[in-house]
Amino acid sequence: MNKRQVVLGVNGRDHEVWITPSDTLLDVLHDELGLADVRYGCGEGVCGTCTVLLDGEPVNGCLTLAVQAAGHQVTTLRGLMGPGEAMHPLQECFLRRGASQCGFCTPGMILTSLDLVRRSVGQGQGRPSRDEIRYALVGNLCRCTGYTKILDAVEEYADMAAES
Amino acid sequence: MTTADPQTRSAYKVVGTSPAHHDFVDKVKGSLHYAADWQLPGMLHGRIVRSPLPSARITGIDVTAARALPGVVAVLTAADVPSNQIVELASGGLAELQVTMPVLAQDRVRYMGEPVAVVAAATPQIAHEAAELVVVDYEELPGVFDVTSARADGAPRVHDVGNTLVSWQIHCGDVAGALAAADVVVEGEYRSQHVEHAYLEPEAGVGWLENGVLTLRVSTQVIEHAAMIAHILGLPQSKVRVIAAYMGGGFGGKEDMTVEPYLALLVWHTRRPVRMIWDRQESLVASTKRHPFIMRYRTGADRDGTITAQQVEILGDAGAYPNLSPRVLFAAAACACGPYRVPNASITSTAVFTNNVPASAFRGFGAMQIVLGYESQLDELAVRLGLSRTELRERNFLVKGDLLPTGERLDTCVEVAETMHRALALLGEPPRPSGPGKLTGRGIGCNRHPYGRTIWFRDRASAWLSLQADGTLLIRSGVTDLGAGQAASLCQIAAEVLGAPLDDISIHIGDSALNPPAGGTFATRQLYMSGNAVLHAAQELRDRMAPVAADLLGASADDLEFADGRVRAETGEVSITLSELAAACDKRAISTAHLSTWRAEAGSFDPRTGQGDTFPDYTYGTHAADVEVDVETGQVTVLRYAACHDVGRAINPMRVQGQIQGGAMQGLGYALTEDVAIEDGYVQAALFANYLIPNAQDFPDVLVDIVESGEGKGPLGARGIGEPPIGNVAATIASAIQDAIGVRPDRLPMTPERVLALLDETERQR
Amino acid sequence: MVAPAFEYVAAGSYDEAVRLLAENGDEAKILAGGQSLMPMLNLRLAHPELLIDINPADQRPPTLALHNSGEMLRLPALTRHRVLLEHDLVRQHCPLLAEAVRHVGNVRVRNRGTIAGSLAHADPTSEIGCCALATGARILARGPDGERTVPASDLFAGYWSTTLDPGQIITDVLIPAARPRQGWSFQEMVRRTSDFAIVAVAVIFNLAERSGAPASATVALAGVADRVVLADSELVDDDPEQTAARIADTLDPPDDVHASGAYRRRLARVLTARALREASARAAV
Repeated sequence: MNKRQVVLGVNGRDHEVWITPSDTLLDVLHDELGLADVRYGCGEGVCGTCTVLLDGEPVNGCLTLAVQAAGHQVTTLRGLMGPGEAMHPLQECFLRRGASQCGFCTPGMILTSLDLVRRSVGQGQGRPSRDEIRYALVGNLCRCTGYTKILDAVEEYADMAAES
Repeated sequence: MTTADPQTRSAYKVVGTSPAHHDFVDKVKGSLHYAADWQLPGMLHGRIVRSPLPSARITGIDVTAARALPGVVAVLTAADVPSNQIVELASGGLAELQVTMPVLAQDRVRYMGEPVAVVAAATPQIAHEAAELVVVDYEELPGVFDVTSARADGAPRVHDVGNTLVSWQIHCGDVAGALAAADVVVEGEYRSQHVEHAYLEPEAGVGWLENGVLTLRVSTQVIEHAAMIAHILGLPQSKVRVIAAYMGGGFGGKEDMTVEPYLALLVWHTRRPVRMIWDRQESLVASTKRHPFIMRYRTGADRDGTITAQQVEILGDAGAYPNLSPRVLFAAAACACGPYRVPNASITSTAVFTNNVPASAFRGFGAMQIVLGYESQLDELAVRLGLSRTELRERNFLVKGDLLPTGERLDTCVEVAETMHRALALLGEPPRPSGPGKLTGRGIGCNRHPYGRTIWFRDRASAWLSLQADGTLLIRSGVTDLGAGQAASLCQIAAEVLGAPLDDISIHIGDSALNPPAGGTFATRQLYMSGNAVLHAAQELRDRMAPVAADLLGASADDLEFADGRVRAETGEVSITLSELAAACDKRAISTAHLSTWRAEAGSFDPRTGQGDTFPDYTYGTHAADVEVDVETGQVTVLRYAACHDVGRAINPMRVQGQIQGGAMQGLGYALTEDVAIEDGYVQAALFANYLIPNAQDFPDVLVDIVESGEGKGPLGARGIGEPPIGNVAATIASAIQDAIGVRPDRLPMTPERVLALLDETERQR
Repeated sequence: MVAPAFEYVAAGSYDEAVRLLAENGDEAKILAGGQSLMPMLNLRLAHPELLIDINPADQRPPTLALHNSGEMLRLPALTRHRVLLEHDLVRQHCPLLAEAVRHVGNVRVRNRGTIAGSLAHADPTSEIGCCALATGARILARGPDGERTVPASDLFAGYWSTTLDPGQIITDVLIPAARPRQGWSFQEMVRRTSDFAIVAVAVIFNLAERSGAPASATVALAGVADRVVLADSELVDDDPEQTAARIADTLDPPDDVHASGAYRRRLARVLTARALREASARAAV
């Protein structure tokens, strides 16, 4: 298979990577760029551990080809943080509320929730309700928390976002 | 609106609060490195070749095409394994058959997915292709796929020594006589299914050689498998090191070895680093599962509801190899009568081999499946006697000082009645049906769940604490972390005793070469064992340093307070920093490091009489639920769900709440939607899309209340909480469905189709 | 698992995609949203040598236009599920579809999955396929020999197969816009929210043109056969229960790990009755 070089914009920086056409975005982000916050969970698109934002929208990293992401902007969980590893307010809510136990689903949960709150508040609909948060997170599976503390954390953040 | 923060009153400064620290910070930052997040130069990729058949003889293996593929570095079969035998005597040799399990199948495969060969290649792509090029010739053999067939005369033998792995017997009193004399006798047969752990992190790890030491960094609950790996490779134990990465979930599925032996073989043969990550679908088919149980109960009682006798038969499908089956069926036997007083009991609990996927440890470990059995009997009795379910239970709940069927006397308090009242209080008023064609019902489920290992294992855990010159603290413990705060809890305990701020404590865990052994993370034992080890190590260290501090402060060694990084005399204004204390100790040649081993109570059990010591203690709890049943479709909607457990002492109340919520959610999946469907040994539809674990929309928030009776045997009176909350759920939901439709499901999962069939039956009976 | 290696090419237009398909035949597959194709590749269930990415080929939004038969909602092939869920034109002119798409996948799947991809994948439990039948949608496809219009009722051929030629690509889906005196309903039964449907029913109900004339309804079902099914219109009358019973009697659904055929047939009857009642109530408003 012929490798080709593409430029991927990841968390605000451009990376030149050599990929084969059948490499998934997950493969390249995790194995080539060493991003541990994008994870293999199922390869079917149902578990959400490989969630990344592609041009701001949550997508399955395992179902997107790396070559398709070339020239686009990819954001992973680490890309939400500020200088000096300053946490995004949503991350702080997750930490404070105990919304992370084994932590494996956490990046997907945070990225998907952030997208929901941004669109909801951004489109002038106010903060999403707890049921709307549940609906948005239905494709992010968690086996540890029973979801309650995750919903609590997102609601707390949503209140903050709606006020500001 | 968000759920309430946990409400507990704590007499302690750090214990009993809910800080979020250590690994949890890395987890929300996404910077934690799990087992697959490790790369070494020249790293190869490993893949297992597995049997597609459940029962067959291997007549030939041809690896030439696989070996010839460019980029393939090794293709190994049984002949390449120095000692191709894993012997696991899970109950220490007590009462169980000795059966060996090969690392790579040699002449026979006994379950679909059994490993037959393993490859290492330069890329995952090539490893996949190579695995597909390995040609294995099979000759199908007859198999057995359920416990009843496996026990029949003339059944095909999974192992030459026979299909019954172990049969535990517990007998006390005169069951036959008591049943004959009982005013009422109820009976029932209950069945549960194969269940998959479905941790979000698949089995994974990386192995390499370092200074001649075979090193594995893997997602595992048990680093002590290093000894087994050394044996497999014919190496001295000093040449194998296992490092446990923080796990993305374990739940018992990473308690037996998973990738370890295959990584070890490939690293040993290739002399290169190797990574292996199991496919999700591979894990669904071939990783160990929860034992399906058949539970047959007969319960006798007086007219006033007092239970006089119980006869229990438990059959567990162990699958093709022993793993931990003997202990699972033992735990089931030890808890078969639940939190109730049963003066005449007869319990048999048998693990049976089949050609299904091997079953082993899974949160709850036998004591979990059995809850459906004893709670169903209680509810059945209540109906028969015209008593309320709560009244009947209160008449029979165990109390401190009562005898269990094994002859053991309960030596801690039993607050199960309190948990029952609180769980029901959380539910509030019963809801009304949402429309025509809907029926609502309320259910409860009580349980008694062990924590700590079976006593005859003489369990122990060590911890090594070092107060550094700058007043910071290091904890070294062989504990492994499943994601439930195993490591972080130890920091909280040490912070409480020594007064070092949490941010000044570093903990290093799970390394068989560098940490004192703590035993694996299972059996809800870590808080009990390692918590006590750290507690005592910290207390012993403080006791050693106290005279030095007392001297510096001009106070008595009994009057000191260690808090906020300082030591102060309780009377007076003076204090010193921990750093100053460390310096003073050093000057006086008093070590500020301390290694302590904590030993659990010992005991023994006689498998012939079924009398003796089983578990050190139990956690009691009750769940309650309101459900709505759609009478046209059989669909069950859980409207409200509440859980209350007596945790003794909540070291970190928020994490305790999280364990209860998470355990209950796993239980809801077990009760209603999860099933690893296996037909004639073939796992059906092995896709994650088809294995239905609860998602964020399926169930309501689990409302939690915590009782802190303080009489647990863990540190500061704590009881274990990791496993107990998964046990109550199926019984609670069955109880609620029974209340709604008048008939109780006796088979799991309680699918809409099965509930509809029960509704049809009640229709027919009318 | 890792997908078997393949080559990749991006097509800038439907014509280019058609040409590439013709050149490569069986060895090529169209990549649209990828939410159905990529899982199959990740599981190594398919081994194409070339993926033709048509995502760059079409940026058009949904539009509404007047055709001979009335107003039609035109949904370009690459219309994402999320757009079906949120776009005003879809919510207004095909509320059945907007409602059904709520049950499709999850946020990530809806951001990439496309209407044409769903129809071409032809899953027998497909909510979108079901709605296409119920609404009388027409599928426009382009091939080496030019363009073709296929009514949805002629599209589905069996498990994961359509009547389209291998060289044809769907370019548009035309759906008759909702009319006055028309109601709709979508009913689904799933084991776990947002999963593949066990059984789904989509109904479009038309009140009688004048008193004395019969009402009419189209009933489509998913999860009851090897393809989504359009019930015979002759089975439909004014009585939802009777209609549902008659329709259910024609079905012989397969058993699978999630449900038995008998249960599916029973669900079909219950959900059809509920859908008819809800749709007729909506029509009367």
